[in-house]
Amino acid sequence: MAAVAPFIRIDGLTKRYPGVTALEDVSLHIERGEVHALIGENGAGKSTLIKVLSGATRADEGRIEVEGEEVNFASPAAARARGIVGIFQELAIESYMDVTSNIVLGNEPTHGPGGQILAFGRADTRAREALDRLGARNVGVKRRAGRLGTAQKQLVEIARSIAMDAPLIIMDEPTASLPGSDAENLLRIIMELRGRGTTILFVSHRLDEVRAVADRVTVLRNGRHVCTEQASEMPVERMIERMVGRPLDEVYLPPETEPGEVRFRANGLTRAGAFEDVSFEVRSGEVLGFSGLIGAGRSEVMRAIAGADRLDAGSIEIDGKTVRVRRPTDAIRAGIAYLPEDRKEQGLVLTMSCRENMALPSLRRFSRAGLVRGRRVRDRTDDIARRLQVRGNVDAAAKTLSGGNQQKLVIAKWMLTEPQVLIFDEPTRGIDVGAKPEVYRLMHELAARGAAVIVVSSELPEVMNVSHRMIVMSRGRVTDRLDRADFDEERILTAAFAGHARTRTDTKAA
Amino acid sequence: MMTDDSGQAVKAPAPPPGASGTPAPETRGGGRRVVGFVREHLDADSLRQAGLPLAVLALIIYFTVQSSVFLTITNFQNVGLQAAALALVSFGQCFVILTAGIDLSVGSTVALVSVVCATVMKDHGIVAGILAALATGLVVGVVNGGVVTRLRVVPFVATLAMLSIASGLALSISDGTPVTGLPDSFTNIAQDRVGDVPVPVIISVALFFVAWFVLRITRFGRHVYAVGGNEEAARLSGVRVQTVILAAYVMCSLFAAAGALILTARVASGQPTLGASIALESVTAVVLGGVSLFGGRGSVVGVAFGVAFVSILGNGLNLLGVSSYTQMLILGLALIAVLAIDRQIGRDRKEAGT
Repeated sequence: MAAVAPFIRIDGLTKRYPGVTALEDVSLHIERGEVHALIGENGAGKSTLIKVLSGATRADEGRIEVEGEEVNFASPAAARARGIVGIFQELAIESYMDVTSNIVLGNEPTHGPGGQILAFGRADTRAREALDRLGARNVGVKRRAGRLGTAQKQLVEIARSIAMDAPLIIMDEPTASLPGSDAENLLRIIMELRGRGTTILFVSHRLDEVRAVADRVTVLRNGRHVCTEQASEMPVERMIERMVGRPLDEVYLPPETEPGEVRFRANGLTRAGAFEDVSFEVRSGEVLGFSGLIGAGRSEVMRAIAGADRLDAGSIEIDGKTVRVRRPTDAIRAGIAYLPEDRKEQGLVLTMSCRENMALPSLRRFSRAGLVRGRRVRDRTDDIARRLQVRGNVDAAAKTLSGGNQQKLVIAKWMLTEPQVLIFDEPTRGIDVGAKPEVYRLMHELAARGAAVIVVSSELPEVMNVSHRMIVMSRGRVTDRLDRADFDEERILTAAFAGHARTRTDTKAA
Repeated sequence: MMTDDSGQAVKAPAPPPGASGTPAPETRGGGRRVVGFVREHLDADSLRQAGLPLAVLALIIYFTVQSSVFLTITNFQNVGLQAAALALVSFGQCFVILTAGIDLSVGSTVALVSVVCATVMKDHGIVAGILAALATGLVVGVVNGGVVTRLRVVPFVATLAMLSIASGLALSISDGTPVTGLPDSFTNIAQDRVGDVPVPVIISVALFFVAWFVLRITRFGRHVYAVGGNEEAARLSGVRVQTVILAAYVMCSLFAAAGALILTARVASGQPTLGASIALESVTAVVLGGVSLFGGRGSVVGVAFGVAFVSILGNGLNLLGVSSYTQMLILGLALIAVLAIDRQIGRDRKEAGT
């Protein structure tokens, strides 16, 4: 008897974009009823693979079989017809329509022949049932979808695939934009769907989550298939090593420089409702880490220093001189560079070339007598792009790069300004593990040249490894200050939770 | 993580603006269902601009006070006649604008349809003429939609090109002169009445219900909104986006053809310069009616009010002896004023958190 064909068989899939091969000869299979996780660094090809599989884009080579039958999806509609539904990061929500219309969109129940007259009652029932199955009883079907929160929008999208009884649901980083409890709820839903026989393929950067729900894990690197293994046999460390292709201790680089004179000093910074009486100093050549929970006020302090928000009280000194920062241009002139968390949104002119984007704030320094020195721009941007491992053509528009590479561009851009005070807010969020060491190396290099570096990070290993000293904040106040010798996970967490009731979820997130 | 469990506080769904504060009168059984149905489908978006109906009312009151002939049956028949063609073109325009497109070619489509229809009709009779008119509309719509969806030309440019092409064709076919010799039984449509209501008004009201029905009750209509609201979301949900857009342009040109038939009957000839100003007027009426130029929002009910506003304003100013040059100026200012008020209302509503 011949072996039963797997649910989905992917064979030799290749997809090329101008300048980049996103997928190269990728083969794997997905069994019916399993939860299959797809992991890899940014640009590894995960998104491309699931786009091909769900009909959002077409592969150049290779074949896909569903239950032994070759398919070639020309559109998401075609993939849906075979029971494959993709849920993407950019949520496909019709903001002006109500929840029901969103859930039945493309699959509306209708009356009579011709299938054109909408059956409103049945649509509501179907939407309600799908939401109830997800435990989303608090999402009203008549509400306008645009007014829902992110987690609820995501539930609406999942309800859409449930309403059509899709045997395979593909999710692209379903928990990326969800706070802890919503993310846990979603994982519970994934397990429930699996219990009903639905097959799930999902992409995630949260490896502990992959461990928790996946049956099997496929790792991609540089568009190639690295391995597919049982999740139970793959600890997180091993996943990372497979993704990066090198041992873990080469990722987080410790600081190299001995700090010098005090370069930056904050005295009693206060902004009502956000933070209170925050004082600290950073020496030239020093990396100061800021740890704490999300919402502890760390980013708010940095935004105020960078002139994005007003301070109610307190002062800022650079090299002993008081600096008045009222708006971002004041900060830039004073030599303060702030790399916000949300780099893509705030940092790039997507239609301009990567090179132009990187050079934008430094043009003055790249010019002589008002004329931009093209060669100097080229050399410097080439250099930094190479070191940050920006994947893609630097002369192409910034929008042609993947999300992670766009983030690198923003980092490159501010690094080129050679600031006195450099503030990184979540410096490696959304950046591949492989490029992380490059970010740290550049960070340390800028410190070595005399800059004061501040790193706000929710990733504890990161902040513990790369900083000289650390400040912990909780509820808008500084709750602890530690020297590198005293760095201790338990002590940091205690300070981070000062004033909070500590729960299991919180611990995991910190 | 420290963020809220629920992400956002759940707010009670807001009542539609028109219905707030005035609960529907208690009705029994079927009556209540009808009220519920009407509310559901004629709600928020339809009355997104409670301001516009009020503006129409204000115009009526103002002109009634200013002119003794304004509020008469004869004058309203007049307004209705003038509004009928604009209404039809605007309803069609509404389909295209809801998909986030625009059809600038409706004016020359009207001219082309008029000329083709008259040319066919004078030799082959009324039915052939009307069929030729609709066929012409169909072809124009398919070409517009095809250029937009297949050649991926932006709607503004695609229909600008069609504006020139259709106009050129109309002038070539007619040699630049009116095509006369239409049967009386056709031209009489423009003069005939049922009771006090002119036939063109009846036609446009009937087609209003067709447009309303298609947009609100059919799958295609729902997809028109979906494509305009979020094209990518629609595509990923399995909506055939290109087909929907193409069909919207076809609807637009077919409605324009219907408008052209009424205008042709009124002027009793095929005119190659008919409808010169109707493209801009229709966009004005649609935008006044609360349909977003970005697509996905608005309704044909609002468009009907937009048409009423434009038509009543024009008629009243005529009665007051305001020159047509000044009228154009006033219409432009009125457009800005209504939109500014709408923005203001929209902003208040947003701040109120509804």
